[in-house]
Parts: sequence; C-alpha cells; structure tokens
Amino acid sequence: MTIVKDVVCPFCGCLCDDLEVNVEGGRVVSVGNACELGATKLAGEKRMKNPILRDGNEWRDITYDEAIQYTADMLLAAERPLLYGWSGTHGEAQCVGVHMAELVRGVIDNTSSVCHGPSILAIQEVGHPGCTLGVVKNRADLVIYWGSNPIDAHPRHLSRYTCYADGFFLENAFRDRKVIVVDIRRTDTANLADEFVQIKPGGDYAVLSALRAIIRGRTETIPPTVAGVTREQLIRVANLCKEAKFGAVYFGLGLTMTGGKYKNVRNAIELVAELNRYTKFTISAMRGHYNVYGSNEVNTWMTGYPFGIDFSRGIAFYNPGETTAVDVLARKECDAALVVGSDPAAHFPRRCLEHLADIPVVQLDPYPNATTAFCNVQIPVAVTGIDAEGTAYRMDGVPIRTRKVLSTDYPSDEEVLSRIYTLMREELGE
Amino acid sequence: MKYLMITGRTVNQGVTVENKTSVEYAEETSTCFMHGFDMLELGLDDGDAIRVTGPCGAVVMRAVASVEVEIGTVFVPYGPYANHIIDADTHSTGMPDFKSHVVEIEPTDEEPKTVHELMEELGGLAYDDR
Amino acid sequence: MSELLIKNACVIDPLRRINAETMDIAIRDGKIVEDVSSAAEVIDAHGALTLPGGIDSHTHVCGTKVNFGRYMSPEDMRAGRTPRRGAMHATSGYSVPTTYGNSYRYSAMGYTTLLEGAMAPLEARHTHEEFVYTPLQDTMANTLFDGNWAVMEAIRDGDTKRVAAIIGWTLRAVKGFSVKLTNPGGTEAWQWGKNVSCIRDPVPYFEVTPAEIIRTTVEANELLGLPHSVHLHCNNLGMPGNYTCTLGSLGLIPDLNPRRQTLYATHVQFHAYGGSGWKDFCSKSEPIARFVNMRPQIVIDMGQVMFGRTTTMTADGPMEFNLYRLYREKWSNHDVELETGSGIIPIVYRRKNLVNSVMWAIGLELALLTKSPWQCLLTTDNPNGAPFVKYPEIIALLMSKKYRDAEFATVHPDTGSRVPLPAIERELDWYEIAVMTRAGQARALGLQDLGKGHLKPGAEADVAIYPIRIDEVDPSVDYQKVIEAFSQTEYTIKRGRVVSRRGECLVDGSNATFWVRPKVSDEYDMGRDPEFIENFDRYYTVRMRNYPVQEKYLNRNRCIETEAAI
Repeated sequence: MTIVKDVVCPFCGCLCDDLEVNVEGGRVVSVGNACELGATKLAGEKRMKNPILRDGNEWRDITYDEAIQYTADMLLAAERPLLYGWSGTHGEAQCVGVHMAELVRGVIDNTSSVCHGPSILAIQEVGHPGCTLGVVKNRADLVIYWGSNPIDAHPRHLSRYTCYADGFFLENAFRDRKVIVVDIRRTDTANLADEFVQIKPGGDYAVLSALRAIIRGRTETIPPTVAGVTREQLIRVANLCKEAKFGAVYFGLGLTMTGGKYKNVRNAIELVAELNRYTKFTISAMRGHYNVYGSNEVNTWMTGYPFGIDFSRGIAFYNPGETTAVDVLARKECDAALVVGSDPAAHFPRRCLEHLADIPVVQLDPYPNATTAFCNVQIPVAVTGIDAEGTAYRMDGVPIRTRKVLSTDYPSDEEVLSRIYTLMREELGE
Repeated sequence: MKYLMITGRTVNQGVTVENKTSVEYAEETSTCFMHGFDMLELGLDDGDAIRVTGPCGAVVMRAVASVEVEIGTVFVPYGPYANHIIDADTHSTGMPDFKSHVVEIEPTDEEPKTVHELMEELGGLAYDDR
Repeated sequence: MSELLIKNACVIDPLRRINAETMDIAIRDGKIVEDVSSAAEVIDAHGALTLPGGIDSHTHVCGTKVNFGRYMSPEDMRAGRTPRRGAMHATSGYSVPTTYGNSYRYSAMGYTTLLEGAMAPLEARHTHEEFVYTPLQDTMANTLFDGNWAVMEAIRDGDTKRVAAIIGWTLRAVKGFSVKLTNPGGTEAWQWGKNVSCIRDPVPYFEVTPAEIIRTTVEANELLGLPHSVHLHCNNLGMPGNYTCTLGSLGLIPDLNPRRQTLYATHVQFHAYGGSGWKDFCSKSEPIARFVNMRPQIVIDMGQVMFGRTTTMTADGPMEFNLYRLYREKWSNHDVELETGSGIIPIVYRRKNLVNSVMWAIGLELALLTKSPWQCLLTTDNPNGAPFVKYPEIIALLMSKKYRDAEFATVHPDTGSRVPLPAIERELDWYEIAVMTRAGQARALGLQDLGKGHLKPGAEADVAIYPIRIDEVDPSVDYQKVIEAFSQTEYTIKRGRVVSRRGECLVDGSNATFWVRPKVSDEYDMGRDPEFIENFDRYYTVRMRNYPVQEKYLNRNRCIETEAAI
C-alpha cells in the first residue's frame, strides 16, 4: 500500500492540498484529512468503462478513436456549437477548449454563469477588494459569511481558513475571531455564529444599503426594521465591522441567485470598499467547483473575458444573458454541444434540457450522470486529482497543481481534447 | 398553497453528485425541506409525496420537516428535480432564478420519478452502467 | 539546419559600439554566426535601421494581477479586438491585452524579450502559465519580496546571509529571475490597512524599516550572484514631495557590482514629485537626474505617462487604494499571504489636468537629463503610465524638440511653471534610443552574456528591422516617420525565424523562460531549515511541497545557475 501525501482535493473551491490518500491495488482505499465531499470523490468508483454512442434507443460501446472522430465531425458541422462546463477539469484542458471554440466559431461558457457569474458582473462594475485565504487565516478578527453555508458546501473552509484556523496574529482563532452569519434560514453555519442575521428572502440588497448608510454616519435614515432585520442588530453589525482590525466577507449563492443577483454582490463589494476607509476589509466569493476560477482565469488571459464568450464573429464577444449557456440553450440557438467537466442536465432549467435532447451532444466525463441521457457520445476520461494531473485555481486565485495518485488507462481531458482539436485542424487544412 | 422555493447545496447532495444514478442522489435532490407548520397545514408527514408546481411544470418530491426553513419558504437541494420546474429566463444575467421561484405545493399520491425517468421525460435516453 | 542572411542592414549595436554601419547579419540555427552558406534564405534590408530585438525591462503582462485587470475590464477588452487569422489567435484588449494580444503587438514593434514587472511567489504558477501563452517573446519574472515574512524576520535579526538563503530558495522554487521590492514594508503594512510613510518608518509588528529591507536585500542579491540587481519600486509612489524619499532610497546604495548597477529603480517618474500637495505639485526630475548622473551604481527607467485611458496595476496595494479614494473608479485589491499584495484601478491621464501634465513632462525630463542612456531606460511601466504601444511616440518625443514643443502646447497652460521641460534642448539620437530600448536593458538585466541585446556571433538571433533609413530621415523634424517606423517592423526575427512581418505574426512561437538557481551550501538551504519549514506549513495555506512551480510549466527552460557566496 502506498500513502500519497499533500494530495490536492478536486472537489470544491477550497482546494485543500493536505490530503493523505492510501492507494492499494490500483484503487484509493482511504482518504485522510478530507471532508466527506472530498473523500467520496477521491474514492469514487463506478466509472464508465469506455466511450458510448447512442444508436436510436440503445447504447453501444465505441472506441476512443471513433468517439473523437464523432466529436470533431459534430463540431465542424455545427453552425453555432456550445462548449460548456470546464470547471471540473484541469487548466491545460481548458486552454484547448478555448482554442477549439475559436476554431469552430462557437460559444464557450463555464459553470460560473450559473454560480458566481453575477459576482463577476459585479466585479466588472465595481472591482474586487480581496486577498488570499492565508491572509484571512493569519489576521482576520471578524469573518462574515453572507448567503453562504460552508458547513455544507465548503466543509473545511472554517477549519483551514477561518473560524478554527489559528493564525500568526491570532493564536486562538476560536476565541479571538468573531463570526457573523447572514442568511435567510438558520443553517448549520448560522448556529456557529456569534451574530446571526436572519434576512427575509430578497432582502440582502436593502440590508447592505442600510449597513452602508450606518457606516457613513446616516443611521437616522434607517427604519425600525429592514428586510426583517432590526435596526439594533444592524447597528451592532456595523459597529463590529468598524471595530474589527481585519474583516473578511465570504459570500455565496445566497447573493448571486436571489433577485438582484449581481446588484446584491455589487452592494456588498461597495460596502467593503467603504469599510476600507476605516479599517481593513476584504471580500471574496465562495467558488464552488475546484477549478471554476481556473476556467475564468484561462478564458480571460486567452480571450479577454471570464465566461460566456461567443466566437461567431471571429473576435471574442462577451454579453452575459446572450452568450451564456442557459440562454443559448433556452433560445434554442446552438446546434451542437460539447460538455466537459460539468453536468448541465442536473443543474440547468428544464427548457435547456429539452433543447439538449434535440441537438447532438458529446460529453467528456468519467461517470454516467444526468447529462449522459442527452448525449450522443460520452467519452470517459481520467479524473483530475486522481489519475490525471493538472493546474487548478483555488477560490482565492492561488494556482495549485493537482497530483496523480494512481495510474489508469483513461486519457486525460487534455489528451482527448487535443486529439479532437488536431483532427479538426487537419480537416480544415491548417 | 404558495411557497418561495430556495434551491441550494447540501452535504448529501455533494457527496452523491458524482454518482447521479444512485438512489441516494435521487432521494436527496427530490427532498423538499419544509417548516413543520406548513407541513401540518397541508396534512403532510415526513416523507410524504408532494406535487410541486412551478412556472414551467410540475414535479413530485418528498416533504421533510426542517427547523432551518422559515414558514412560507421551502428548501430543495440543487438538482434535476428542482430544475424540472425552474424557468430558464435569466433576465439577461445568464443566471436563472434558482432562489426566487414561487411554487404551489399540494399532497399527491404519485411517487417521485427516478432521475432516469425525469431525463427521459424531456427526451433523453437513460444509460445504465452494467 | 536553417540559415538566414540579412543583407544591407544598417546596424546599431551599442553593446559592440557599432553605430549605423551597413553590414550583413548571418544566422544559423537561431544564433548569429560569422557567415552562412549560399543556401541561406536571404532578406534584403535595403539599408533599413536594424537593431537587436527589443527588450522591455519592466512590463506587466502576465500573472494574477494582470489577469485581474483583464477580467474586471470588459470595456478595455472591447477596445482592441482582432479575429483568429493565419497563425494568429483572436486577441482582445487595449491597455490590458490578452496574452496573445500582448505578444503579437510587442512582436510587431520588434520586441523579443520581456521582464514581467511583478510576480508573487505564491502565485508564480499563474505567471508561468501566461508566459507560455505569450509565445513570441522570451520571458522572465521579477519576484516580489517586499512583504516577505521570513525575509523581514531575518533582516530584523541582522542575518543578511539568511535573507540571501530565503531569496535563493524562493527564486529556485518559483522559477523567478530577479528580486523585486515594491513599496518595501508598505505591502505588509497594507494588510492592516496601513502604509509606511518614509524609508525610516518601521513596518508594524516586524519592526524593520524600508531602508533596512532595501539595503539588506541589495547585499543579499549580490551574495547570490544574480544576473540582475534588486529592482525597486520606491515607497510613496505618486505622492507630492516624494522625491526626497526617492533620493533617500537611492542614497542607501553602495556600488557592489562592477558589471552592472547595484540598484535598478523603476518607473522613477512616479517618484520624482515636488510640492507639498496637489496645489503646488511640480517636477523634481532635475535633482533625481543629477543624483543618478553621479552614481553609476544606479540605473532607472522612465515610467512615462501618456495621455489617455489606461489601467494601473501594481503590487503597491495602499497606493492603488489612494487612487480609489481620489477617483472613485472601480478598485480591486489582492493581498498575498506572507508575501506582498496588489491593487488595480483604471485611470485617465488628461491634458487638462495640471498634475497629469506635469507627470507627462517628468518622464521625458528624466530621460533627457540623465546623461547616459545606459542609466535611463525607456518604459511606461506598462500599462500604468500608458500601454506599451505608445513607445514609438515616446521615442519621437525624445528625439525631437519640435515634437515636444508641439505637444507641450496642448497640455495644461500652467505646466511650464512647474517643470523644466520647455527649456531642455537635448534630442536623443538613434544610438541612444537603441541603448534605451535593448542594449541598456540587456546590460541592466545581466542578459548580454546570455546572448541578448546585441548581435555578436554566438548571440541569439533576435533582430528587428525597422522600415526607416536613418540617413534619409531627420528625426528632429520628421517625428511622424519615427513613430511609424518604430510602430511596426519590416521583420521581427526571433531565434533566426521571421516571427512578425509588417504586423502580421507568422508562427505559433516557442519561447524560453529565464530563471535563476543560485547554488548555496547545505547550511543555507532553506529546504532543510527546520524553522523555515515549520513556519511555512503553519502560516501559509499551501503545503511547502505543493508550492514550487514544476519545470514542466516552462515552455523552454533557460535556467541560470549562479555561485552564491553562502
């Protein structure tokens, strides 16, 4: 049995890199230091054994060569192909994806558009005053989780970076660090809070505005309650913020998905920017997939835009709401789809699935998932972090190289995509 | 009765997210967490089937009481059941209203479908790993 | 074997003291050689000005904060878009172009080597990933140490050798090229929302001063035998009256190296301000230039501001926050644990703005008042002062008093009372420009021994042929022609291949990344130091084993081993 240390977990945006994986007989037999989500992923079995093709109402096994040829043909024949997903694979594969989209003049989008896309829209309006996770671990005496429930979605966030993480300037984080949780419901995370602020659904924007007004000395404008929060509590929270030596806000889908969406996030960013006039404050998004930030980074340095990029004009064109996957599918605009490292059939509204059913779809994924039902071809690939390695970007932008803990015969996403890309270039005479 | 439906992540949804053909995934993502009083009003016990109707369709889920949820709000883990009734309109943001749909809930005799059945209802063909 | 012969080139090669000699240049397998066979491909330069490939010694093109600047600025992306065509990928961006955008545009201007201005060690992997996608220029990275905890603690303990050991370990680990200090001490203070106000102001908690950080790091740099000197972005950037801080910083520097400067002070325009506030803001380029003229151990670069819109981005977090307070534009900040920070904010430099007009004049003054072009190199701190595509205009301004006067007539009317520029008659010549855009950089960065910056046989065959015959053009009058010529080469040749022809990039590119690996004794190997290892795993959020950048991230690996004196 081999023990592989310092393994990088390929599940959530925490990108914990201290996992210990026990490998025996070509399988992961146990995982140490990981949360339940990471441990389950690393021990995952039930991989699809080989590429499959939908033939009428049946599934047939096909070879990798056939699957790759099918994909290349599909993308070349399409007028407006959609290349979606990307967050569940390594950066090297994401780069090939951009080249492919550029070649076939398709739309390339990643899971940000249904996750923290609105946060990016807000950042594009007002900027992003943030920091790496270690800065918070070492300094923050106030942490605010807003519309985020890390105990369920980022289980080790608190022990590695915030509430339970001792830091250089805070020897006893549990005692010296205050936690405020803002949410519409009393989640497990809320139960840990020193101050739980319960907001009526849709009330985040108003509460953020109220806090900004109090910080600016305009408390007299605040009514007795704002979105279900009392004025007393709002004042208390504002004071906690101003008195902190270092405040860190982490926000989640509670802001990006409720009414207002990117406007909620914008307001939160502006609150933090203002707090910087009084003390040190940062804000960051709790990114979901372990490499969704990577797909933003790759897309940006290569095309100029973080998601929703349309190459149909030859140039890179960005217009969220128009060039984002949900909209492209809902408007029935794409006539082929390549899905990599994500599962839109599980996570997109039904109207999108109805269109997926009508167009040719190829998916690169190690496991059968909801999208499999809509595929014409699925190509099983190695799992980044288990039997493939490559770069991932943590939720705070720090890039870490995932490790291979064992070898299998599965090709990586990068290998498969590179073969498809090469084939397409040959057919176009490049 | 109308309720605000919030969808979001849970540990159990996350743990099964790489195994979407499993019974555990179907159970977790077809669970509708409701406040005890709301369930009382509808005459529901834990685990009873409910028909949840949204702007673009209906889906059968199971109601489970939760102390975390407020009256008038329900919480459904992120997945194909919730998305079955969520509209694709993103109001030009790219992001659907995953946390702001108003739905109708009533008890039902039907059973929740499997993930396979949901996909096939929309035109897919389920794949069974042999 | 591939051979290329450039005939009838009018060569200026300052490192070989060649000044406008018409000659042939023979190239074989990517290197300059004495001669080639008759089978060689021939390019006839027809007497055009031919220089070694351009070298930019301070530009922000790759890495975390640059990419931050990109994705927060879709409006900047829209301002410069090209489709995929031939060998060229699609590009976007005006002041913060995509990596391909940067590479193609620099190549069109004849640049073949770039030094990335700032790379945080923790995020170095990102810089290297972007280097690979900047394929037509060889690359190297200034590595940030201004807020480095281990370094500051060693300085506090008076242990210069330990400082050298930490720097050596880090540069090897993250494949860095050189040591960068940005607002030394200030970036750590900013992680509490504070800053340092002068070089004697101690850093909160660590109790070392910027002066100590600068001096000790300079000594450590020389102990490691690194090709480049310490590269310093002084404290107090952008503040009225900051020239005294700059002079104080430069005054700390002894002459420790016979082959090159001991300190490279960057974008000094931003650090040459007089006055006590915005109302009496004025140029102090004269005392700065006088100081530099007397000290061969100092090399500076201009950091020229040009009017128009651009994006500021530096590791100087508190300075960027001050710009936010001033302009209320969208502001980003990114502090990096145990190391440094960064800030990004868009900006517009306006002729109607007196301060901006003074800034514009100062950059030019520094270049004209510094006697030796080897001591004042041409940059805009891209994109902070202006996008690099403005370099040709700057060259024209330096070569033509007439052009300067014409531009001066369009700036704020009170500028004349704040700056000495109108009284400066000097016009730089072609040779001096060649020094300021390549030869000087090669010497300052320690690259001439690596075959960069000159065309001596054995050198890298990086050549730029500009569409201008200098015997037919009077640069002091025909400044428009100067601008056009330097905007686009007839040929840019890299490693003996034509990579750009009249603005069209012809190949995918295969660039090399230069980095240093100082050889230290076991006693000073931080990889074995228990205190270093323990602190690392306790306070960073990345495991020490996962921190180093694997060599596979480099496209072509140019590792420079140095003999360290520790």
